[in-house]
Amino acid sequence: MPSFLTRHVARRAACAFYAIVVALLMFAHGQAHAVPAYARQTGSACADCHAGAYGPALTPYGMRFKLNGYTDTDGQGTKIPVAAQLVGSHNVPARGDSTTQLTEADVYLAGRISDHFGGFVKVATTNDGNDHFSTKLSNMDLRFVAKDLKVAGKDTIVGVSVNNSPGFDDPIAALPYASGLGPPAVSGTLLNLSSSHTLYNRVIGGGVYALYDNDWYGEIGTYNSMPTSVQDHLGFNTASDPGHLSDTGYFRFAYMKDMKRQFFSAGVVALTTKRQLPRNAPSDDITDLGYDLTYQFLGNRENIVQVAYVNILEQRDYGSTPIVNGIMAKPRGDAHDQTLSVTYTFRQSYALQVAHLVSTGTEDAARYPPFGKPDSTANMITLYWTPFGKDDSFTSLANLKLAATWYRFTRFNGAGSNIFGAPPGGPVTNAKDLDAFTLSASVAF
Amino acid sequence: MTKRTLGKTARRALIAGLVCYGAGTLPALAGDAAAGADVFKQECAECHTTKQGKNKKGPSLFGIVGRHAGSIADYNYSDALKNANWEWSEEKLHWYLSQPARQANPGTKMKYSGLDDAKQLDDLIAYLQSNH
Repeated sequence: MPSFLTRHVARRAACAFYAIVVALLMFAHGQAHAVPAYARQTGSACADCHAGAYGPALTPYGMRFKLNGYTDTDGQGTKIPVAAQLVGSHNVPARGDSTTQLTEADVYLAGRISDHFGGFVKVATTNDGNDHFSTKLSNMDLRFVAKDLKVAGKDTIVGVSVNNSPGFDDPIAALPYASGLGPPAVSGTLLNLSSSHTLYNRVIGGGVYALYDNDWYGEIGTYNSMPTSVQDHLGFNTASDPGHLSDTGYFRFAYMKDMKRQFFSAGVVALTTKRQLPRNAPSDDITDLGYDLTYQFLGNRENIVQVAYVNILEQRDYGSTPIVNGIMAKPRGDAHDQTLSVTYTFRQSYALQVAHLVSTGTEDAARYPPFGKPDSTANMITLYWTPFGKDDSFTSLANLKLAATWYRFTRFNGAGSNIFGAPPGGPVTNAKDLDAFTLSASVAF
Repeated sequence: MTKRTLGKTARRALIAGLVCYGAGTLPALAGDAAAGADVFKQECAECHTTKQGKNKKGPSLFGIVGRHAGSIADYNYSDALKNANWEWSEEKLHWYLSQPARQANPGTKMKYSGLDDAKQLDDLIAYLQSNH
């Protein structure tokens, strides 16, 4: 029979899982970076920056807009940098009751202040269940950029980004905090937005970035977690505090090649920090090292294929080694997150996205009961339609997205069946019981 | 006899036609406007439209062939293009688009590296010519 501590940890894992599922649903619905305020500012259509006219995946043109600090304009006067999004959804979990609800209402302050200053700020009001809404500062990316510089005779952009999620400001936007896609994880990396105690939106920092000769991108920065009082004021549940961070460094380097009909990139990313979680605990030394590869076939934009693969390995040197059920936790461990996503978009309106999401980690009987493995495997399959947001559509400055999404789980907590280790006769939860299907409608204007 | 006379006339008409074709309008006739529409989407559509009065980051290219450079009243051109004293003929477009924009017109805001595929360039110009 499992001990109290084992049951407690298992219960925590179950709670964490359901939080992850809810978060996945929210990320999948709420990621609208095709902000109509940008379309009004630039005269461009949503589809110029986003293959499926809604985002968040960027076209090479969208990457340049982001690198230019959201400051590009059609030169026809000042536009009000405000936009909004409403998301409604019908969720059908494999186990549990179906729900139909207003999922999210967002306000965006997004646009240019001058030729050198611009930003993206999202304030989200989310339905936390039973029509209990909470408002929080979601994504933030404020930029200063110096464009049209020449270094060794080559075009160069140099900028500064202040943001609240390392990697959110990345131009290629394949990293989890920018793509909104990361594997559901019991023990995920710091750069995975689905990890428990994620840094996503809970830290403040940023860095200096540069794009050299249109192809070479580099960024160096640092972050600090917001004090719990600030997180509370900004609308976050402090129970998910990412802990106290110190000596934090963020590094990014990538080669990206825009060939008009095709695009590819190869990049590396690193995040290193000392984390105290809880804040009075000994610090863990954590280093994330990752790489990402992307490819886009754009052609004449009738048939677009986007492929992205992200692989992040986290090495941990734990500050403490607790004893659970007489077993001492290991002093070191790894977490490993991988995401492969393929999206096909027809006429910039109809899209199918298939994602394979895997999170694994070092076996540790004390840290990951009952099986000692934190591994999870999931798939996300989304079919969606975005009727507007093109130059020749009813409106190019607003959009609607109707989506059907299926979340499929084949492994969680290190197992495919009885994932929480229920004793014989007890209620068994299998990985597939956590599958979910959802229909959603999003409108941005 | 009648046949021979008609043959001479036809040959003269053909020669005259070829002379005219070679003298002034070869680039437009060489290009395929339908194929040029695809080239436009690939090379230009992010910054330009061919809709009348619709500017994006770059000005509308509706009726560009035959228009004087820097002449759309409600578009904020660079000084370099405002001061460019030329008309966008097919030949001028061919010259301009076959090289980096900043080489053709130093000081322009347009960031374009040029189209070095001659067939695509002909097709594109044929498409632009067709938008009036």
